[in-house]
Amino acid sequence: MIGIVVVSHSRPLAEAAVGLAAEMVAEDKRPVIAVAAGLDATTFGTDAMAVSEAITSADSADGVLVLLDLGSAILSAEMALEFLEPDVAGHVRLTSAPLVEGLVAAVVTASTGASLDAVVAEAERGLVGKQDHLGDSPAAAVAPVVEADRSVEVVVGNEHGLHARPAARLVGVVNGFDATVTLTDLDTGKGPVDAGSLSMVATLNAQQGHRVRVGASGPQADEALAAIEKLAAENFGDEPAQKAAPAASGSGLDVAIGPAVLVGAGVDLSGYVAGDNELGRLDDALGAVADELRELRDGTAEHGEIFEAHLALLNDRKVLDDVRTAISGGASAPAAWSEAYDGLAETFEGLEDGYQRERAQDVRAVRDRVLRALVGATSAAPVESGILVVPELDAATAATLDATRIAGIAVRAAGTTGHGVIVARSRGIPLITGIGDVEVPAGATVAFDVRTGSFEVEPDEDRVRATITERRDEREQAVVRADEPATTRDGRTIDVVVNVGVVQDAVDVRGADGSGLVRTEVLFGDRRTPPTVDEQVETFRAIARALQGKPITIRTWDIGGDKPLPFLPQAKEANPFLGERGLRVFRRRPELLRDQLEAIRRTAAETPVHVMFPMVTTADEVAWALGELGPRDGLEVGIMVEIPAAALRVRTLAKDLDFVSIGTNDLTQYTTAADRTNTAVASLADGLDPAVLQLIDHVVRNAGVRVAVCGDLASDPQAAVLLAALGVTELSAVGPQVPLVKARLRQADLSQVDTVAVLAARDADQVRGLL
Amino acid sequence: MGVDSFVNWLRDVAGTLHENAAYLTELDSAIGDADHGANMDRGFQAVVAVLDETSFDSVDELLKKAGMTLVSKVGGASGPLYGTFFLRFGTAMSGVELTPETIGRGLHAGVEGVLARGKAELGDKTMYDAWAPALEAYDAAVAGGSDLGAALTAAAEAAAKGRDATVPLVARKGRASYLGERSAGHQDPGATSTTLILESAARTLS
Repeated sequence: MIGIVVVSHSRPLAEAAVGLAAEMVAEDKRPVIAVAAGLDATTFGTDAMAVSEAITSADSADGVLVLLDLGSAILSAEMALEFLEPDVAGHVRLTSAPLVEGLVAAVVTASTGASLDAVVAEAERGLVGKQDHLGDSPAAAVAPVVEADRSVEVVVGNEHGLHARPAARLVGVVNGFDATVTLTDLDTGKGPVDAGSLSMVATLNAQQGHRVRVGASGPQADEALAAIEKLAAENFGDEPAQKAAPAASGSGLDVAIGPAVLVGAGVDLSGYVAGDNELGRLDDALGAVADELRELRDGTAEHGEIFEAHLALLNDRKVLDDVRTAISGGASAPAAWSEAYDGLAETFEGLEDGYQRERAQDVRAVRDRVLRALVGATSAAPVESGILVVPELDAATAATLDATRIAGIAVRAAGTTGHGVIVARSRGIPLITGIGDVEVPAGATVAFDVRTGSFEVEPDEDRVRATITERRDEREQAVVRADEPATTRDGRTIDVVVNVGVVQDAVDVRGADGSGLVRTEVLFGDRRTPPTVDEQVETFRAIARALQGKPITIRTWDIGGDKPLPFLPQAKEANPFLGERGLRVFRRRPELLRDQLEAIRRTAAETPVHVMFPMVTTADEVAWALGELGPRDGLEVGIMVEIPAAALRVRTLAKDLDFVSIGTNDLTQYTTAADRTNTAVASLADGLDPAVLQLIDHVVRNAGVRVAVCGDLASDPQAAVLLAALGVTELSAVGPQVPLVKARLRQADLSQVDTVAVLAARDADQVRGLL
Repeated sequence: MGVDSFVNWLRDVAGTLHENAAYLTELDSAIGDADHGANMDRGFQAVVAVLDETSFDSVDELLKKAGMTLVSKVGGASGPLYGTFFLRFGTAMSGVELTPETIGRGLHAGVEGVLARGKAELGDKTMYDAWAPALEAYDAAVAGGSDLGAALTAAAEAAAKGRDATVPLVARKGRASYLGERSAGHQDPGATSTTLILESAARTLS
């Protein structure tokens, strides 16, 4: 193995560069790396004598490569060669390769036992990956690589793609064989590139999930391919990506049975005995809870913000001071803690703003988490199976339940559009809301059936289980036929598409005819900084790919209201749902929207894409948005109809559009003037309210363009039939419901739906009776 | 004329550079990394320390030792450059009688080393812009029958002119070259230290 010498003016610089490069390769495989840098630890300068000594110490029969920074480093290194014995100097190479990139490439390549010439070539290509990425200099001319005839296909499982360290391991394996190996990213079409070259592998920029064709030729081609397949199966030596805890999904059924698990009754503090170290116990509990919350934050990517907020609540200095003062005054840790956080929750509940009021839930969640830690209740998320019965369902609970084990959730409060409900439903957890104050003893067997609206304590278990079997069969049937079109018995074909909040939604869904709603603010909602155009294109592309290139409808940033974006802070508004939401946000600061439209246009050049703008009220807004969008070549353009004003004048708004998509959740809450997050009035916000249906009917009759529905109503198979009967031609549902909606539509005869009676109904209940 | 004269020269250079350290650094701060004065001072103080500890029997050993010390102690590019100068100068003086002619050949060998090391050309705004006219003047003086002192004085005067002529030049070598056009209008620190070394030689070697 060759030796490597780093010459620099600065010893810390050289040592840090060596550290960076050494990290790439396991210690026992590293080449000898010697440093000649600085006149001493802090004085900048180079010393030709020191360089020659470093070369001597790194000397090997295979040769020595010297990487340098600038100026005197070069002169000193050249001079050092004159001090060396000629036979040593003869196999030393000084390289103009960039110090950091060249060193990384050299260390990796050298570790594979490559020759001095090969290492030099690799080091000199050190900038290629960076240049290719930034596109600021013509890609270095690289000898064309001929694709080999023997090849295998592997998938990059690594969270950050084939990044430096996994790439280094790959190069190490490749160079261990007498074979020429090439890589082609089948998802981007890049390649083939030389798999024995770290810099070339870097230019491939293969991301997680990409399929890579590995080609090989030469005497050991088969052995090399086998070894690479094995390495790929082991995630190229990376720890397997931390699976977001609740990735698995529930049964997706609307019926469930199991022992009741009551939550919200508070933490039992009766067994707690105060000691003389209450402050210490509190600190231990706080530390443990902070660890839990950080784990939750990192493990549930799409809901990480919630736990970040919980962490902030946990560390509220003012409240902590109060707690500590109370403990110093003789209170027990749980008592002091409860009192302080009860007070804080009350403060939130007393606020006028409904959004702020909802934060009281978070305060109580943090309060109970710490109390559980204090009394030694082991699990912070105690519900692992059975049916969770809760007064209200917060998003944190819904996001962290084990969807594969929990039988179902029964929520006492009414309302089907709260966050927790939406999250639970999107995860396929059976869920019923509005069971009210019915008395449920802990552990009693309970069952519910959303289709009949029943919630029973100690039901006839056999009957319920028979229903579950029936529904499961129905569901399985639906899934089996998922890919068949949803053509009704009277011959109308409805496009049933999927709502996408994370790429996984598009991957998991069965039978979707595309996506009718890509929620960009959710896709990138966990970001601290805005995604770049490239990142957005990459993500949109991944969604389209998961849906086999069927059309995807990308909604531009829909922020404001209850959906803040960390990278676009907004001023506090007393009435955020009536304030700067959706498209309104960007009239004054269009930059983020412009980037997104650019990403959408670029994606549309490769795959069918529709774009729609949320929260549109006036024709001026439509004209402005179309102006921002620019040329529409091939792109279908629409708006969301979610404001009654937009529904009423849809003919004016849709004049220059290709489609409109009704957001039934917002349309419902704006029509009924009922806040979906306020459990006291949420029951008013019923999507089947005839007033809402009349607006939908009006939109279908007057839009003059294709009408889609992407709200929750489209996920309800019964409501889906009604929407289709009203003339909606595209329904965008949550993933688990797509096969069921399609199955229900196939059974329906739309001509038999009495839409006149539905629109004239007295209330939502009467509508349900008619369906 | 012998080893002692050369020892005196090196000590005088050290003293001169020490006195001018701030000046050289100031020149370097305009177009370089503001270390030339400090670097040269450090290097020649190390040479003086060697002279205090060791006695030398021959000029070639003395000059080579001075060169090696500069190589290790200066730190900046002037370390290998002046180091090479003294090493090559010393090598050329090995086993030869000290005459204006042999010393001239030694100076040429040293400056050729500087050129080989730094790959500079005339007008690049480097120390070579002082060395080149200095050697020409020295050769002409010796050819005209001047003694060593007169030839060195002619060389130092020519170096000073070359040094002054660097002011309007745009640097094409070294750290100053990063400044491009902005390096014009400043006197080159390397040409300045070369002139100081030659002026010292004119004072001490005769």
